[in-house]
Amino acid sequence: MTPDDRLKALFAQDEPPARDPVFSAAVGERLVRRRWLQDMALLAGLSVLGAITLWAMWPVLQPALTAVSDRLAPAAWALALAFSAVAILGGFGERAASPES
Amino acid sequence: MKLDGLDESLVAAAQAGSAQAFSRLVDRHQQAVRAFLRRACGDWAEADDLAQETFLAAWPRIGRLQAGGSVRAWLCGIAYRKHLTARRSAARSRARDTAWEQERPPAPAGQIDDRLTLETVMGDLPPDQRACVALCLAADFSHAEAAEALDLPLGTVKSHVTRGRARLLSALGVEDDA
Repeated sequence: MTPDDRLKALFAQDEPPARDPVFSAAVGERLVRRRWLQDMALLAGLSVLGAITLWAMWPVLQPALTAVSDRLAPAAWALALAFSAVAILGGFGERAASPES
Repeated sequence: MKLDGLDESLVAAAQAGSAQAFSRLVDRHQQAVRAFLRRACGDWAEADDLAQETFLAAWPRIGRLQAGGSVRAWLCGIAYRKHLTARRSAARSRARDTAWEQERPPAPAGQIDDRLTLETVMGDLPPDQRACVALCLAADFSHAEAAEALDLPLGTVKSHVTRGRARLLSALGVEDDA
């Protein structure tokens, strides 16, 4: 055995296994967690930015929204009624078609 | 120092955003990175922690890995910088759970003293020299590959390896026939 072989044999006792699913899974888990935290931080940042923008523009937006809502109120009511009717009648239709009912 | 075929395709896929390909790179190279860190820092639990940090840092930087580069050397380079940062951080807690280390099969009786001697001498080597020894003598890195990983001049790596090897052999009482 050469001196280098002897050194290598001693160093080899430190060698981790060639396959270690526990280690790989731990890395994967930390990567997923880090990505989730980054996504949450991005969403939180965008929400804060949106809220600040809305707050800053509210004096301009409020009169415009009030004027538009006055004009759109009848159409909004009609749409809400139509959606409700479709939802209710659709629900009855499905129940009627169901073999248990 | 070309990427082997599988590494090359895995790196290309990871660079295109495939987390699965990166996970296979972790599988393939965890042994080399962990072994290097164990020899470079001596504390197995800390080494494994740093190895995880290494892969976490490697994922967003995978796009910087150039074609023709060695994945193993690139990862060991990141690992070495993590290790140096950890060494510099005096506030870092050293309390780690090392219970799993006790579960390793014991070394053959005659090798225990040699093993302790090796650990002691490795612990006394300067960090650069220790890293060069860990890569070139223990992990079969070429001098050039180690120089790339550690960002050291080739001549420095060669002299570190020669001096480190001489100190290890002398401490182990082995005649150097080289």
